[in-house]
Order: sequence, then C-alpha cells, then structure tokens
Amino acid sequence: MEGIAKETWLHRVNPSIKLLLSLGVLISLLFIHNLNVMLLLTIVIIICFAFGTGVSRKIALLFFLPFFLLFCSSVLTMALYGKGSTFWWEWGIFRVSEESFYRGVHLGFRALTFGLIGLIFVCTTHPVRLFYSLMQQLRFPPKFAYSFMASIRLLPIIWDEFQTIRMAHQVRGFSPGKGWKGFKSKLSAYAVPLLAQSIRRAYRIAVAMEAKRFKGNQKRTYYYQLSIGKWDFLFLLFLLGITGIVWIGSEWIQLLPNQDVRLV
Amino acid sequence: MCDHLTINKGYGVHKLRLKFPGDESLLFRDCHFQYEKGEKILFLGPSGCGKSTLLQVLAGLIPHAVDVPMKAEQVVVPESTAMVFQDPDSQFCMTHVDEEIAFVLENLQIPREEMPAQIKKFLSAVGLHLEDVQTSIHKLSGGMKQRLAIASAMALQPEVLFLDEPTALLDSEGTNQVWETIRQLPEDQTLLIVEHKIEQMLDVVDRIVLFRPDGTILADGKKEEVLANYQEQLREYGIWYPGIWEDRLIDCSEVPITNQADSPLLALRDFQVLHSGNVKLHVSHADLYKGEWIAVMGKNGAGKSTMLQGIRQLLKTKGTLLYQGSPIKRGDLQEIGFVFQNPELQFVASTVKDEVAYSVRQALKNPSEEEIDQVVRERLERFALWEHHHKHPYQLSVGQKRRLSVCATIHERHQILLLDEPTFGLDAQNTFSLLDWLEQFSQSGTTIVMVTHSEEIADHYADRVWWIEEGRLQKVSSNGVDGKELADGGNRERDVASSSKS
Amino acid sequence: MKKGLKLTDILVTIVISLVFGVIYKLWSPVYSAVKPIGLHVDQLLYGMWFLAGPLAFLIIRKPGVALLAETAASSGELLMGSEWGLSTLIYGLIQGLLAELILALFRYKKANVLVVSLAAIASCAGSIVFDYFQGYIDALVWWNLGLFFIARFVGSVLIAGVIAYGLAKALEKTGVTGLVRGSTEEDVRSLDD
Repeated sequence: MEGIAKETWLHRVNPSIKLLLSLGVLISLLFIHNLNVMLLLTIVIIICFAFGTGVSRKIALLFFLPFFLLFCSSVLTMALYGKGSTFWWEWGIFRVSEESFYRGVHLGFRALTFGLIGLIFVCTTHPVRLFYSLMQQLRFPPKFAYSFMASIRLLPIIWDEFQTIRMAHQVRGFSPGKGWKGFKSKLSAYAVPLLAQSIRRAYRIAVAMEAKRFKGNQKRTYYYQLSIGKWDFLFLLFLLGITGIVWIGSEWIQLLPNQDVRLV
Repeated sequence: MCDHLTINKGYGVHKLRLKFPGDESLLFRDCHFQYEKGEKILFLGPSGCGKSTLLQVLAGLIPHAVDVPMKAEQVVVPESTAMVFQDPDSQFCMTHVDEEIAFVLENLQIPREEMPAQIKKFLSAVGLHLEDVQTSIHKLSGGMKQRLAIASAMALQPEVLFLDEPTALLDSEGTNQVWETIRQLPEDQTLLIVEHKIEQMLDVVDRIVLFRPDGTILADGKKEEVLANYQEQLREYGIWYPGIWEDRLIDCSEVPITNQADSPLLALRDFQVLHSGNVKLHVSHADLYKGEWIAVMGKNGAGKSTMLQGIRQLLKTKGTLLYQGSPIKRGDLQEIGFVFQNPELQFVASTVKDEVAYSVRQALKNPSEEEIDQVVRERLERFALWEHHHKHPYQLSVGQKRRLSVCATIHERHQILLLDEPTFGLDAQNTFSLLDWLEQFSQSGTTIVMVTHSEEIADHYADRVWWIEEGRLQKVSSNGVDGKELADGGNRERDVASSSKS
Repeated sequence: MKKGLKLTDILVTIVISLVFGVIYKLWSPVYSAVKPIGLHVDQLLYGMWFLAGPLAFLIIRKPGVALLAETAASSGELLMGSEWGLSTLIYGLIQGLLAELILALFRYKKANVLVVSLAAIASCAGSIVFDYFQGYIDALVWWNLGLFFIARFVGSVLIAGVIAYGLAKALEKTGVTGLVRGSTEEDVRSLDD
C-alpha cells in the first residue's frame, strides 16, 4: 500500500505492536452486543480511517465502496431471514422483525469496523517494515518473513501476466461458456498459466536466495532496526481513550433502541 | 580410470552422475571437471546439454538447495561462491536496490552501521550510480538489474563467481553493460561462465569447455584453440559466435523492396493508445503496405508492445486506424494475428496438437475432424514439432514453445502478423529457423510487424524500421535509405543506426 | 520425505497463496453482491476461500503446507485491503489448521479428491464456528440455517475439493510441479544403472 498514503503518526507505531493491539480490539468487538455502543464505535473508527491514515479522499472512497456493499448485504441477510417476534413486514419467506432488523444493523456495523480496522492497519504499515518488525519483536522465522517479502515483490509481475493472458484469450477467441463447466475452464485457463509461472519463478528466487548464503536458522543483522518507543505507548493510550469515549458516550447518546441484539 | 584424475588441486567434480527426476537417461555419466583459482572459463554447448546444471553442482547448489538426484566420487566446492542467474526478474527477493544488497550483508552478519557505506561501494563497483539507493528494482532496465545481481554477488566476496547465461534475456546495450562490469572486477577473480551469446565477451575468458548434446565434454582447452578447431560445432550447437550473421547470410538474397504505390493496408493517423486513461503511445502518421516486414525498435518501456496491442485493439485507442481504406471493424481483427512475447501465456490447450487444432477449428468453416487432423499435422510438420504433438506445451524447450506459439497463431486468413520479440532469449539455431518461417510467410504476402532489439534482424530481414521513443513513433527508416525524421519533434541529431547495411 | 519445509517449498507456497490472496479479495464483492439474493446462494461461493490450502498441499505434498498456504493467503487478502479486515487472519488460521489436521490424519500419504474434499469440509466447519461467534448465525430461522449449512458445505467440496484437484492435475501436466516434488529414493538408485 506504499505510495498512496501520506505519513501520519500511525505509521510510526511499531508494526508488531499495532498488529497485536488491533487484533485485541478485534476480539473485544466480539463481546459488544449493544447497538448504541456499536454505532458510536463505528463512527469513531470511520473518523480514524478518514483522518488518521493519510489516504487521499478519492482512494479512501474507492476502498470504502466494497466495505459499504458488505455492510448492506450483512444488514439485509439478517434482517430478512433472522428470527424475531415483533414483525414489521412479511412477504412469502421474508419476514422482517424488529429484532432481526436491529441485529442485522449491528452485524453490518461489526463487519464494517472489522474491515476498517484492518484497512487502517494496512494503510499505515509498510509490508517490509512489518516483516522486519515481526522478525525482531516477535521472533518470526526469517525463512517465512523473506519469503513473504519476495512474494509481495512478484505481485505486480503476476498482475501484468494476468493482463497478457486476458489479451491472449481475446486474440485467440477463447470463450469458455457459462455455468459450472464454463466457470471451471475459465478458472483453470487463468490459474494454470499464472500458477505455473509463479511456481517456477518462486523456485528460482528461493535458489538464488540460498546462493546468497541465506539460511533459515542463521543469526543475522538487520538493515532496518525496529524498536518499541513512545509512539507505541501513545497508540495504547489512544485505544484506551477511544474505549473510554465510546463507553461513556453511549450512555448519553442513544439514537437506537438500547437493547442486547442477541437472542433472548 | 586413472587415479591422477581425482581432484587434488583447485576445485571440481570427479565421476559425477546426475539425472533429473522422471528422465529416462542420465544427464551426466561419470563426468570429470577440474579448475583452479584465478581461471576464467566459458562453458559452451547446445541448449539442454547440462552446462547450467554442472555449474550448479560446482557451486554447491545441487544437491543442497536444488533437489536433483546426483552422486560423485569427489566434489570440491570453493568455500565461498556466488552466482548470477539468467532471469533478471527471478533472482531478487526485495523490492528496492539497497535492500537487495542489504539482504546479502545481513546474511553475512555485517553490522547495520556499516551497511550504507558497503551498499554504496558495491553499487559503484558495478557502475550503478543511482541518485537514491532506495530505487525500486522494478524500474531498472534488464541490464541494470543484472548489474545489481553482480553487485549483490560481489557483496558475498566470492572466491569463485558463477555466471549462468547472465545476458540471455538482455538487449545488446544491456549485454555490453554486463560484460563491461565483469571486466572491471579484480584481475584475479575466478570466473565460471555459461553463455550462448559470445560475440561481446570472448575477451573475458581464457579457457573454453565445449559440451556435446549428450552432456559429455567434446573439448576443453585454451580459448583460441577451441574456437579455431570447433567452428563447425559452434554453428551446429546454435551459439552466437562472432561473424555468425555473415556466415548465415551468404546465401540470403536481397530483400525485395515492396511497391509502395499501392494504397496502404493499414493507415495510422493521429493514432493514440491509452492505458488506464493515459496516452501511452502516439503515432501521428504511419502506413503499412501489403507484404512489408516492419521491425519496431526502441528502448525498453518506450511503447513498442503498447503499439502492437493498440493496433490489434487490445487496448483503448483514439484517432484513426484505417484497414484497407476504411475504419477498422471488429471483423477485420480476425485477419490480424498476434504472437505474444511469453508463449506460455497464450497457450489454451493441454497438448501441442490441441493447441494448433484449437486455432484450425476457428479458422476453417465447419471443418470435419479428419480435415482438422490433416491440417494440424501439416502445420506441426512444417514447424518441426510433429514428434512432440502429444506433449503438454509447457514441456517443450524454449525454442519449441516459441515455434508453437507462431505455428498455432498463424492461419491463412491473416493479412497482418504482429509479433512481440519472437526471438527474445533464443539461441542462434532457433532464432534462424524462426526467422526462416517468418520469411516464408512474408514471401507469400503476409505483412509482418515485429518488435525486436536485434539490429541484425532489422538490417537483414525488415523492409523498414519504426523507431519508438518515449511513447512516440519518432522515425521511420527504410533499409538502404536514410531514415526519415517525422515532423513532430524527432531528434535530429540521432544517427540512423539501421541505414548502414552490412 | 525429508523433515521440515525447505526454503523452496515455503517460497512457492507463499507465492501461490498470495495469488489466491488477490483472488480472495476480488471474490468478496462478488460474494457480497450475491448475498441478498437469499436462499444462501452466496454460501455456494464461500468455498473459494478454502482453495489455497488443499491446492498448495496437492502441489507440494508436505506437512504444514496447507496451514501455511491458508494463513498466507489470508494475509495476502488483508494486505490487499480486505473488507473482512484482520478477522480474515483468524479465519485463515482456523481454516488452515483444520485442513492440515485432515491431511495429517492420512499421514500426508493420500492426495486424492476425497482427501482434499474432506480437508475442505474441515475448513468449512472451522469457518462456521467462527461465524457463530461473530455472525449470530444461530439467530437465523431453522430452514434458513439448514440451507446455509448445506450450501456452504457443497460449495466447499466443489471449489476447494473438486476444483483444487482439477487445477493440481492440470498443473502436473505442465511439469512445473516436478520442481518442488524433489527426488525419490528410486531416482537416486537409478544413478547406479
């Protein structure tokens, strides 16, 4: 995600710390069943995403679009098919109840916050720094870390190859047809050449890495030194601050029915 | 075998046996090779004779990093080795220039404080003077990438430096850069090189080892002796030896200049090719006549492939593209063939035969199965591929794949054939056989537009050369005639490289 | 079979997985768009997210590959800006672990369509467990829940079982899988002929 974001203070937080704390937030989100808390939290996270990541507005909207689609589909599915007793609307198999609707909205918010937290992490973390940090702070094995970095380097090349295959299919009039069979042959017409090229390339890179005397278990020095410092402490305080605001704020601002969205 | 042949001095292998999994026969049977510190050796031989494999054994990569069944009575590998590989895009693991060298320094446990200075040192040793060492490797040209590969190899401070066809995928400028870099290395650096294109590098080596197709050693001795005594084999094994073009073209007649009085087959007027909304290529005025052979030349990334893709309407275009006098229609595109640079990406079938049958089915109207079989066989025989018809296209050799990609693309209805560097990375034999096929199509009236980096091909095969620079068609030169600058901002000081016919 | 994964195995697995990471990311909008149609047609598509593990195992055939592949693919999806955010990491880990478990039960000796389908089913079960925690799926009406289960399991077997097997077979024909499979004792013995 390099190059699309201006640097903000979130970029300076140690990637490993950011990852662990974000995962912590994620897990604790699973225990929120109150709609108003969820609503407030979603708003706070949207604000963080919009102003904390340094992403330009155009790109932020571009990223946000599929998230919104997921939000809508989460709401709709639960609203239409969820259990409930106070029915608002009924048509055939669709029965929208008050309970299922609010549960749907809650789920939509949850999906949205899950996604946005991930997106904030990705937008403010450089992959190379992430893997260097994982090696240094969390003892992540270099064998895996460098394999990840090498693979990420290959993605643009694979994308170019994908475009070429698409053109080649166009030139050769390749049309796999519709339905299950068509899906299968279309998938393999793309996947087989892409995977074959990638496997060969990955294999060669691995051999080249070993030729450069890379051994998975050797002691090594690091070109990028990552450590834990004041920004990490600030990040922790920031998260605690958000928690406080949401907790207290939801007592005061109650826009939606204040109930547990789980089954009773 | 006598005892004195075992390796008691220097490095090498004795009684090497090696075989690729699944292959019928051994690649090496009791192979012996020995060399000493300070030697500069070139391995020559036909494609597939096992020279690169032997190089990997000598460097200790087989069997440790590469799992190939092998055994030998004795293998002596230098304490420290380094290898530069063929493909510039599959030997780096990091995204930026400095990080790539740092990766090596990290492996050697060099303290972090010393790294920036060392990175600078190794980069300048190979002549890579970048403004910012944190440059994306993706943005470098092929020649620069290979020099970076040499820099990171030298960072290992190897006793022996192994080079496995380091220029096979480079144009002549990049090739020159690589050998110039090798010449700058310390005098006593031991070198073991596998190479096909030897015109520009013979001064680098003193000893040549020549392999037979079956992997046995035909000759091993001083450079001058081997070159003088085995001229016939060099030709037979597809090596790009000095003077090969003169040898090949002795019986080649002069290319007839096509009659340009006819109306053009294809006319480009203020033609623009777009890629994600931006104009990537602009052609203000160009014509293409029936039966012509056009070579499209220019630097990497200048827009040569983009132009071909634009003509075939694979990318969005603006401006005018007239085919036989009227704006090009969808139906016309069937008469324009396209051969991609990487053959594997254009294959759609899982056997060689089906690959050609697929195209034949589309070209003929309601063909019967016998008819298809017959046409497919004829074509495969013509391209010397029939004996491989049951194989998967990926299982062919590089040269065969390229032939198949042309064979499966071309059909009788094609008026124009667009080819994107069809001879890229091929040995001499495969290059000339492919050029000969194309010459036949050209003779029978097919118009050929071919991207190439080879000035020899442009000189000897093409009627005209289109020069692309920085996204513009800058100049069109006819062979034998001085290049005509185009009105829109061509660089007048540029010399006309293609006009001097040999 | 030698112990542990070699660098070549790891790098090949991760590259394959990152390709699938991109596919996983592109698959999400498709899934979201189909979801409101209802009757859980969307769940038939869910199996796509289990494909990397079984496929990587079929290509490399070593212990640990399925787990690594599924985790790496989900990291790739995350790096592409996944709608599911960090939760995709947790899903990946659970799905990979369960697929790996099935392959281990067969001692990594079997690589047929049945075994990978079972691995796909295991991944599927894992995803449902996590869905239970975060998606309130128990709050769906009974017939709907039943349909949900059936659709997701069928989709998993079709995509992560049958298609994975087909892709692996097609790749074997290209010969590239020979690179990572390595040499057998038989190959070594044949050197003495």
